[in-house]
Amino acid sequence: MNYLHLQQLDLGKRMASILLADDDIELSSMLVDYLSEEGFSVDVAYDGDMALSKALANEHDLLILDVMMPKRNGFDVLRELRVRSLLPVLMLTARGDDVDSIVGLELGADDYLAKPSNPRVLVARIRAILRRAEAQGELHNGNEHPDQIALDDLVMHFGSRTVTCGGNPVAMTSTEFSLLSVLLREAGNVVSKADLSERALGRKLSRYDRSLDMHVSNLRKKLGPLSDDQERIKTVRGVGYIYSRN
Amino acid sequence: MHRLFWKIFLSFWLTLIIFSALVMFAASSYLEHTRTQQDIGSMRVRLSEYFNQGQAAAKQKGIEGLKEWLENLDRSEAIPIFLIDETGQDVLEREIPAYIIARLDRRREHAERMERKGSRHLQSIRLVDGSAYRMVPDFQSITLRRVLQRPRVIALPVAVAALVSALICLLLSRYLTFPLERLRRATQHIAAGDLTQRVAPSMGNRRDEIADLAGAFDRMAERLEKVFGAQRQLLSDASHELRSPLARLQVALGLARQRSNGQAEKELDRIETEIERLNELIGQLLELSRLEAGVDAAHIEKVDIRELLEGLIDDAQFEAESRDCEVKLKNAFPASVKANTRLLRSAIENVVRNAIKYTKPDTAVEISMLADAGNPNGIVIQVRDHGPGVPEKMLPHLFEPFVRVEEARDSLSGGHGLGLAIADRAIRLYGGEIVAKNEPDGGLSILIRLQLAAS
Repeated sequence: MNYLHLQQLDLGKRMASILLADDDIELSSMLVDYLSEEGFSVDVAYDGDMALSKALANEHDLLILDVMMPKRNGFDVLRELRVRSLLPVLMLTARGDDVDSIVGLELGADDYLAKPSNPRVLVARIRAILRRAEAQGELHNGNEHPDQIALDDLVMHFGSRTVTCGGNPVAMTSTEFSLLSVLLREAGNVVSKADLSERALGRKLSRYDRSLDMHVSNLRKKLGPLSDDQERIKTVRGVGYIYSRN
Repeated sequence: MHRLFWKIFLSFWLTLIIFSALVMFAASSYLEHTRTQQDIGSMRVRLSEYFNQGQAAAKQKGIEGLKEWLENLDRSEAIPIFLIDETGQDVLEREIPAYIIARLDRRREHAERMERKGSRHLQSIRLVDGSAYRMVPDFQSITLRRVLQRPRVIALPVAVAALVSALICLLLSRYLTFPLERLRRATQHIAAGDLTQRVAPSMGNRRDEIADLAGAFDRMAERLEKVFGAQRQLLSDASHELRSPLARLQVALGLARQRSNGQAEKELDRIETEIERLNELIGQLLELSRLEAGVDAAHIEKVDIRELLEGLIDDAQFEAESRDCEVKLKNAFPASVKANTRLLRSAIENVVRNAIKYTKPDTAVEISMLADAGNPNGIVIQVRDHGPGVPEKMLPHLFEPFVRVEEARDSLSGGHGLGLAIADRAIRLYGGEIVAKNEPDGGLSILIRLQLAAS
């Protein structure tokens, strides 16, 4: 995947702008009110085509994307979008449908939320994603952190936000990128799930939440095993994950 | 149309005709054989051999020996052989056909006229006392009955006929039972939930009762598929449609909170709880309809039970803490089963959450992995609470949707809802079993039996 645009965020100076793509007009109008009250500026799209063109206009900080939409469903929008943009995306999936959330995360959504859900949870997720994007923006500008981490055949470039594995570039969503960076910084040490959720997803681990496991499993798939056929990211039962050194 | 009836009738009939025809054909060709001119030579040899044997018997034991020898010979020889004395009586006192007597008379005259001895067929066996017996083979009275009464003669034709008719019967039964076997398999598939099975295309050009049955079966399957599909669609649509207003309700509640400035907080909390309850119920309904439809039967993988339980307990602990109880993994060992991880997890999770709901404060919900005593390839996951248990007569009904164990208490707690019903359907999908029993020292145990995956 070749990203043409990189999101530049300076949330300190203006209201975060959110694009809400959902075909339920009544729900959208109420959500606009709710999110405005919470301090976001909200734009709406009622179908997939509208959502995609507005998202590609590069005027928003985050896209809330419903899966079930006319013209072009959420997955298609996300697939198209990810060819050209790294705009953070929060997927709204049908509750109880894990397949949807797995597909969403695999296509490059930053997080997902089962619909219907409490708007307070929605706001918390939005803030978490924005915080993460912001932190990465700062990282990009400042020089406090090293520009890259290399371990064995894996190299993470923070400037260009790219990952190479054995010299080959690996396409990665921003969530996967931050997950991997946390694990890589702690390589050889176990990172607890709660810790990982707060540092990489920017939110507390909620109960019955499988998104962390899904992100990790996507990372495993993308990176493949180590040269000695060992899993790069091992599960430590009941505790968390560990990135193993060779 | 009773084509099958006629098929069976005609083929059995035909088989019988062929069988008997074969026997008769073989027997008659044997007789033919004995009659052919070419064979007369060997017949003559045989007859002269008989003559010598008869003569020898007569010499040794006299008339009694001769009788005995002739009786023995008659048992194995298809051609009746008479020994006729000068008075024209058979030595065994059998009736002599008129044509033989006539022939004998003719020959005698002829022989007297020509001054010659009778033909070799009419040689006489002489006894010591001078009496002579003419040996006369009666070719004309070889009857089928005589042939059939002599097993050595009939054995080969019967064997051939039996073999041929066995072959025909084999083909016939195959022809009749093959489509029935196909129907049986299709029925099993239908019973297992695969309503897409059709059998008529596999019947080819067949046109009989079995083909009709296949057609009727297909129409039934089609109807089932349609009805089940419609019901499933309705349930799924209803759940989705119920969720849209619920989603709006939640946002409206959020807006109300924003605008109420902390007033009516208690009421709003209550509304939120009820929305959440409704939401969960709709989710469970959807899950149950998916399970009954077998949507998630695919994606089967090896699931590490211990890992799954440990992950699940981490999550359940949250919920347990809010009810002042805890969840403990008492006994665990490495074991894996073949299942859909999400489904198995949600099944066990439902059981555990149910246990948390009913266990008394300050007690623990204990989860243990146990070996299955009755099945070396099985495993039992036990979820035990320290609650009030369930009346014995209600135990078998515990896994029915929306079952209420005790009217008063459950209407407060919302009953068992769909959680255990979902668990039951999911476990059964993997050939497992889920049962409940009361512990003697109080509390309810739910036992989940699963088949271990081959390692």
